[in-house]
Amino acid sequence: MGIGYNTIAFHADKCDGCGKCVTECARVHSQTDNPAHSRIHVAWDDKAKWAGLALCRQCGEPDCVSACPAGALVKDAYSGVVFWDENRCVDCHLCTLACGYAGIVCNPETGRVVKCDMCNQDPACVKACPREALEFKKGAQLFNQWGDLEDLVVPGLSSCLGCNSELVVRHTLRRIGPDTVVATPPGCVAGVGAVGVNGITSLKTPVFHPLLTNTASMLAGARRYYNRIGRDVTMLAFGGDGGTADVGFQSLSGAAERGEQMIYLCIDNEGYMNTGVQRSGTTPYGSWTSTTPVGKALKGKTRDAKPMPLIMVMHGCEYVATASTAYMDDYYAKLDKAVKAAKHGMAYIHIFSPCPTGWRFPPKLLIEAARTAVQANLVPLWEYEHAKGDIEFTYSPEHHIPVDEYLKLIGKYRHLDQEQVDYIQKKADRNIAQLNKFTLHQEITTGG
Amino acid sequence: MKKQAKKPFDTSKIPDNLCPIATVHAELKTGDWRAERPVVDREKCVKCATCWVYCPTQCIQEKPNWFEADLTICKGCGVCAHECPHRAISMIEEAEDD
Repeated sequence: MGIGYNTIAFHADKCDGCGKCVTECARVHSQTDNPAHSRIHVAWDDKAKWAGLALCRQCGEPDCVSACPAGALVKDAYSGVVFWDENRCVDCHLCTLACGYAGIVCNPETGRVVKCDMCNQDPACVKACPREALEFKKGAQLFNQWGDLEDLVVPGLSSCLGCNSELVVRHTLRRIGPDTVVATPPGCVAGVGAVGVNGITSLKTPVFHPLLTNTASMLAGARRYYNRIGRDVTMLAFGGDGGTADVGFQSLSGAAERGEQMIYLCIDNEGYMNTGVQRSGTTPYGSWTSTTPVGKALKGKTRDAKPMPLIMVMHGCEYVATASTAYMDDYYAKLDKAVKAAKHGMAYIHIFSPCPTGWRFPPKLLIEAARTAVQANLVPLWEYEHAKGDIEFTYSPEHHIPVDEYLKLIGKYRHLDQEQVDYIQKKADRNIAQLNKFTLHQEITTGG
Repeated sequence: MKKQAKKPFDTSKIPDNLCPIATVHAELKTGDWRAERPVVDREKCVKCATCWVYCPTQCIQEKPNWFEADLTICKGCGVCAHECPHRAISMIEEAEDD
């Protein structure tokens, strides 16, 4: 079993050199505002608007530790933090010379070295930063909890570079485990070979290939069979947005109304990507697709996307959530709830799934796109539990960035004029206002 | 690595004339596709596992003090290099004669 460590990330482009992290660090560790006592320092060039950070990175192979002649610096194998022992330190300051990141420095007031100890895994500087330039990344916790489990998808699927669907399928199955029957209707997930051909398969769980129209009803039947023989097996659908919101909608709606026990996952890449980037019911306004082209008069899709997750809330599903792969810990937490909810009724998760090939953006920007769309309120993250009866945001929509920040990343929006961007902004604001109306908490239980 | 998958039934007992049931796992060496290769600077890696979280092919392997991609599977999409909070991964073009 391996181990990963939490880390503090610095986004230089968001930093304005306000220095709140520096004073907060000094306040927490020495009860003064004197920056000399701070373990974090920011260099700010006002002319160039450039910020640099000096903070211990808790290196994997720390030079400060090997340079210390007194054994006063030790890397903790459990937390990854390099701890400084003030009783052992002989004040030779060799560590400050060895460190290439100015992560361990001499405090001129005391003459002793100071370094970050990650505030017992709850760093004060990150909480003090008003612009989210400092970020506490906790991906290591997911790795420590789940990383040791076998990937239930074989190595190598024939999906495109930077495919979000592949990322979703691998993480989802790792979390849900082998006692699962998977349905992959026609779409990218089946197309990349997940379902297999001629006796060869790419999933290590039972998997079948329903029609586009009957995914939910076939899974409902399979679950009823397992109920009859007394086995608790999770039913899981990896539907695309076409197979969910358009072609497969009738069977999904019926299964949701009947409260069939399954997890229905809609991997929403906003179009029929597997067959050549045609528009679907969830393609957003303004998008270029091969059936909503851009020309002299045409400016992409003229209609708005179908609010699929809200439609499923209205069906009274046991659990409904939206997710984005950029917020993976949030997604894992939602899968936890979905697995429990699927023992009683339908759990529906709608995953925003940027598609580098169909949306015309470089594959390396996959997670950047998934993150910016959430931050711009175009993909609000929320969950709905039927027993509670309300929608709860899992990512606060309050401090959002302009939609333009997201739109300019994506090639399919390259043609948008200002009027269209304004419309998309207004639509995003209205969506949030609408969702806010569903936040009324009213607990009820069914009569039987 | 903890094994999760188990054989649901004795595959030798499947009659030949039944509808096809897939029992063999396909492995595709997608590393062949790669145009750029991720190279990890071990000095900079702090083992935060961000690359593991976001790698679409989940080919990131743990080493004693760093993570690195399995190059038989890595397609070279560059997500890991873009997301690495300490810029420890750089993408290097694959050369013909390498």
